[in-house]
Amino acid sequence: MRRQNQTPNSNIDIINVIETKLKDKVQIQLGQLGKAAIVTSNGLHRDVLKAMVEADEKTAIIAITGLDLGANLGVLYHIRTSNAFLTIRAEVPKDNPKIQTVIDIIPGAVFHELEVSDLLGVVFEGNRLPGHFVLSEYWPEGVYPLRKDVKASEIKLNPPPPEEEKQPEYGKIVKIIIGPQHPALLEPEKFAVTVDGETVTKVEPRIGYVHRGIEKAAESRTYLQDVYLIERICGICNTIHACNFVEGVEKILKTEVPPRAKYLRVIALELNRLHSHLLTLGHAGLEIGYETLFQYFWRDREPIMDLIELTSGNRVYASLMTVGGVRRDLKDTDLPKIKTTLEDLRKKLPFYRQIYRDEPSIKARMQKVGVLKREDALKLCVVGPVARGSGVDIDVRKDEPYEAYGEIPFKEIVYTEGDTWARMNVRMNEVEESINIIEYAIDHLPTGPFRVKAPRVVPAGEAVNRVEAPRGELFCYIKSNGTAFPERVKVRTPTYANIPAFLKTAIGENIADVPPNFVSLDPCFSCTDR
Amino acid sequence: MANIITWARVKSPWVLHFNSGACNGCDIEIVALLTPKYDVERFGVKLEPSPRHADVLLVTGCVTQQCAERLKRVYDQMPQPKFVVAIGACACSGGVFAGNYNVVGGVDKVIPVTAYIPGCPPRPEAILDGVVKLLNALSPPKPKKQPKQVKTPELPKEEAKPEVAKPEAVTQQEVKPIVEEAKPNAKQ
Repeated sequence: MRRQNQTPNSNIDIINVIETKLKDKVQIQLGQLGKAAIVTSNGLHRDVLKAMVEADEKTAIIAITGLDLGANLGVLYHIRTSNAFLTIRAEVPKDNPKIQTVIDIIPGAVFHELEVSDLLGVVFEGNRLPGHFVLSEYWPEGVYPLRKDVKASEIKLNPPPPEEEKQPEYGKIVKIIIGPQHPALLEPEKFAVTVDGETVTKVEPRIGYVHRGIEKAAESRTYLQDVYLIERICGICNTIHACNFVEGVEKILKTEVPPRAKYLRVIALELNRLHSHLLTLGHAGLEIGYETLFQYFWRDREPIMDLIELTSGNRVYASLMTVGGVRRDLKDTDLPKIKTTLEDLRKKLPFYRQIYRDEPSIKARMQKVGVLKREDALKLCVVGPVARGSGVDIDVRKDEPYEAYGEIPFKEIVYTEGDTWARMNVRMNEVEESINIIEYAIDHLPTGPFRVKAPRVVPAGEAVNRVEAPRGELFCYIKSNGTAFPERVKVRTPTYANIPAFLKTAIGENIADVPPNFVSLDPCFSCTDR
Repeated sequence: MANIITWARVKSPWVLHFNSGACNGCDIEIVALLTPKYDVERFGVKLEPSPRHADVLLVTGCVTQQCAERLKRVYDQMPQPKFVVAIGACACSGGVFAGNYNVVGGVDKVIPVTAYIPGCPPRPEAILDGVVKLLNALSPPKPKKQPKQVKTPELPKEEAKPEVAKPEAVTQQEVKPIVEEAKPNAKQ
């Protein structure tokens, strides 16, 4: 059920904990890369992480960033605790890039480590895959695309091996391969599901089919070009990706965005959230064979697309964000149109809520399906509606308000059941909250300029930023070297953090329950792979 | 017999959607085509899950290294004659991702493409327009000639230019009663 819960240990001073436990061994740089950057060496990152997990159950790894620092490779562990956000720094030499894994302390780190090892060649001892995780299976050995000396044009893939005829396996245990081209998936991705009778016993993911190398491409474009490149990580939650990057650049530039731009950004972001949630709520209907619901939701999503077009000039890619503000002002004459459209949507919501509450087919296919317990949600570091459906109250809009979210009242929706049904209901209720937020923002829209001029050349520095995308916490790390081109851009998308939840919840389930469970995580592989 | 097959293909093309590494922008616009506002099914276009039943392959995305091989395989599985529509700037040329280390860039580098629909993403109307243009191109030459033959009797009308205003007035009068008749029907 919905509740406003209080975390018991939200007053822990995590910096204090680390200082008392590991005094003199680590160096704490306050105010850098979040609340603080903790510089470690010789495998002490594990001790720091252990101390944090013991002190605070909500300690989670947001992302692991790999850096090419010349002679060394940097590994940054970005950590979120119940009230703070900080970074653990570690370095390994390039000729022997070995570092100990942390998956025994925080299991949710597993895919973050695999990505860094695939793209940058850092070896995480204790967490290795036989093949590639993100890159093509024909990728040449020893070439790591995110290293500075690797050029895209010089990479030559290995020739594909001659095809072998595979003998079909017969027996009780069957391996079902879902993807890359599959009717249930709109996007190419492969999940090898091992089935014993009707029960799923194992899921092996293979991602990377949509890996376009955006992080590397961002290094060869200017900051302004990057806004549009980063926006194209995902066609669904594009505005929030651009906003996340722009906020990170503004942090390095120390640019203050005018208040009107903050409110305009909130309106654009919430419109984005609305259309994304309506899309997912409908898609869930499609996956359980309830196609009418799918058509209803997509019908009601179209007016929101029209609003996005009205406010930004484009249906899908808003391209509204820019460093220093927004690119387009909102006309006063457009405000009534936005309000009436949202009011129309609000009138339809009780009907949808009733469907999700009372409809027997929804109950049968969603309740007690894919249950993710609160402890597992914390261990696996899941984010967004998946975490909030399991009773973990994390929402960046509340925890670390950005833009105008600190001034706008809204409810944080938390359900405790942890099943597919709870996750979809979190989204269902967030649709209404988004409408409230937009209406409040329109009513309290400040006057004044909607952008300030920002310099094209960004001074040297680092910044981390996180925002709440429709699918959860979105994180980016930007390193600048004092030119017009960024040194490193790292984006960790919420869908990437939520894959472990699918692997955990699918096991022991009926094979027919895999699609609704999967959709309840709101998968988006273009986000996942980048 | 061939005429019947062409007629069936033009009247009801079964399309297969393949995402070769797209950002989802074009993909959701294709799905939006199937939903009530655009409703492409009224033209007989049906989304088909299996490549073995499909006439038209809609490809989105910039073709990543991993997808190139799969795209080729899906294309090979389709029965002849087959048509490929590249949807979006990425599918046409690689778009913003052209030149990246994991991107082949452009669908036509892997399989032959019949129609290109540029845009980032193209609007559903544009995709619809592209599909309709493709279907017109598929139509056998005979029906194409027929409209020309229909046009030829209109030529004498153009010669009698001063009389143009009168037929217009007549058509308006003719249209009005139809509308009035239609209204009570709608109420029922």
